[in-house]
Amino acid sequence: MFQPLNSAAQLGYRTVFNLFEWPMARAQRLVGIRRVAWLFLLPNLLIFGLFTFLPIILNVFYATTGSDAILLSQRPYVGAENFSSLLSCTDYLDPNSCRRDVFWRAVYNTGWFVVLQVGFMVLFSLITALILNRDIPLKGFFRGVFFYPVLLSPVVVALIWKWILQRYGVFNAGLEGMGFASVDWLTDADWAFFWIIFVSIWAHMGFYTLILLAGLQSIPSDVYEAAEMDGASRWRVFAKITMPLLMPTMVVVLVLSLIRAVQAFDEIFVLTGGGPGSATTLILQYIYETGFASRPQLFGLAAAASILMAVVLLVLTLLQLRATRSQAEG
Amino acid sequence: MAVVELQNLVKDYAGFRAIHGVDLTIDDGEFCVFVGPSGCGKSTLLRMIAGLESITGGELRIDGTRVNEQRAAERGLAMVFQTYALYPHMTVRENLAFGLENIKTPKDEIKKRVDDAARMLQIEEHLTRRPKQLSGGQRQRVAIGRAVVREPKVFLFDEPLSNLDAELRVVMRGEISQLHRRLGNTMIYVTHDQVEAMTMADKIVVLKAGLIQQVGSPLDLYNRPANQFVAGFIGSPRMNFMQMTVAEIRNDAILLKDDEGRSFEAAVSPEGVAAGDTVTVGVRPEHLEIGTERGRPVTVETIEQLGGESYLYCQDQSGRPITVHLSGQTRIKAGEEAKVFLPAEAVHVFKEDGAALERLRIGEAA
Ligand SMILES: Nc1ncnc2c1ncn2[C@@H]1O[C@H](COP(=O)(O)OP(=O)(O)O)[C@@H](O)[C@H]1O
Ligand SMILES: [Mg+2]
Repeated sequence: MFQPLNSAAQLGYRTVFNLFEWPMARAQRLVGIRRVAWLFLLPNLLIFGLFTFLPIILNVFYATTGSDAILLSQRPYVGAENFSSLLSCTDYLDPNSCRRDVFWRAVYNTGWFVVLQVGFMVLFSLITALILNRDIPLKGFFRGVFFYPVLLSPVVVALIWKWILQRYGVFNAGLEGMGFASVDWLTDADWAFFWIIFVSIWAHMGFYTLILLAGLQSIPSDVYEAAEMDGASRWRVFAKITMPLLMPTMVVVLVLSLIRAVQAFDEIFVLTGGGPGSATTLILQYIYETGFASRPQLFGLAAAASILMAVVLLVLTLLQLRATRSQAEG
Repeated sequence: MAVVELQNLVKDYAGFRAIHGVDLTIDDGEFCVFVGPSGCGKSTLLRMIAGLESITGGELRIDGTRVNEQRAAERGLAMVFQTYALYPHMTVRENLAFGLENIKTPKDEIKKRVDDAARMLQIEEHLTRRPKQLSGGQRQRVAIGRAVVREPKVFLFDEPLSNLDAELRVVMRGEISQLHRRLGNTMIYVTHDQVEAMTMADKIVVLKAGLIQQVGSPLDLYNRPANQFVAGFIGSPRMNFMQMTVAEIRNDAILLKDDEGRSFEAAVSPEGVAAGDTVTVGVRPEHLEIGTERGRPVTVETIEQLGGESYLYCQDQSGRPITVHLSGQTRIKAGEEAKVFLPAEAVHVFKEDGAALERLRIGEAA
């Protein structure tokens, strides 16, 4: 909330504005009023150009050249060879039949991860939002509890859960204390995959719960009262009123979480390192390891893989735009 | 079809009493209007009847059956909301059908009832549209249609016309009255607009701060307001009020003195007042006589000549505003001095607690 300015603060503001008055007038006189706008845009354009557009273009160059040389001038042109190498499989359903089997394993892992993580996370977020939207005791407290993990850094999230789940971690200690055998939560391929999904749901659910909660609260209460007068059962109110009116919000949540799931990296990398083997290696980790962590550094292959990933993200983003636009028109 | 009885109904909101023990019977087929200033508890009372608001105390009966604990849908009522509250994602047809689908009405029966209601309310050509694509008046009709198709025992309206422009309001007012004549259902209608109340109601219930001030037919309320609040609320422009002292008690009238010592007669029962009491005298603008011979001297400040009628806004010598409403046109001009006379038969007298003295010669005024 803005407080009315006291006179000292007003004086301060006026002094600052006056300081800018002279250089502004001068700049306008020098380059013309219209071009001053470009002057203001320049810093941003420079930053975007340098750190976004330039790397995109460089990436295309790397993707179409070979060898492990880092300077473009020393890299021989190979055309689409990096792409064809990535895409060469005798059976696309079997990563072992592919030339780049780890890439395909990462693709399949990412696919499963996206479907399961997004599916369950949106479901749990929806249920949580529906509960938090009702008149329950300690509503504010619970809203805070579910949102809190969102505020943690992903590395912290992963370290906390690693501490809980590792071979001699808290969870196994508890199991043993109750007389059960301990489980290799992070070194068994299936369990590790379960836990990367679980932890990323835990870490991000609060954010989507909050968005859905806002969506629920934007549904006017008189519509619910009309439904009550109309004798709708609770299930029909949910299916015929709440869900359709929540749909625009659901679409936003779905697409945002899809895009984020495709890009998942940090928590998983810290939690499992992609292992055991490549059981929890996702596409972004594959790109990172191919391009930077392995010797020789296969920049071209990594660049090609990142372009393929960008295409998927682009499709998802376009879908989102279309969905939100048709929602706005509908 | 339905008698609605309220017995000592009370509503508390977390320590705040919104409704203070209301007793009321609304007869079968009656058009009952709750009227009162904003915040007086009209909506709360209506929503308690509807089942949207819990009842803190007292008993609500519909056709003799206690319904306090029944859910809204079980009471067999339908409500038209001020905001229309249409389902925004459904077509008009789906909006109308929703309530019938909830109680698993057969498909062809739903279609028939929706079509009938749509025809009656002239929204047939909009059945495939969404509420967003309709004008305010059309939305209002859909909201009414949604109530009609359910064939409720009682219709409830909460300020249904307040979001419409003035012209449309008059049209819809007529249509709702017509709907009532046609269906013959009991209807309870909430408004803060006394003109709506006067023109539509069989029975008006005037509320103030969660208490009933008076119940009666529109003309009852106009002719015999029970207290100063009702007198000021019903009638437009507002009744003129002035302080006077009771000078003399007669058996069918009292003699009043104003602060400048002029005497007036008031044809009211003297029961409850004695000579020397201070009372508030009220006269409706349309009952004042303005001329040059008798009465209180005033200055005419502004005149509104509407051709068929005229409004004169005057000030008496102590600066108190007095409004005079004449039928027809007047020769008096703004800025002129004049005298207003209070005919004895038209005078309302209110005791210090606001209660009215009984008027004795209603209708004899010129
Ligand atoms: N849900 C609520 N909680 C607390 N107070 C309320 C609530 N609804 C209404 N009130 C209060 O009850 C009084 C009557 O409100 P309402 O029935 O809406 O008035 P009206 O419809 O006559 O304008 C008001 O003082 C209002 O502030
Ligand atoms: Mg209200």
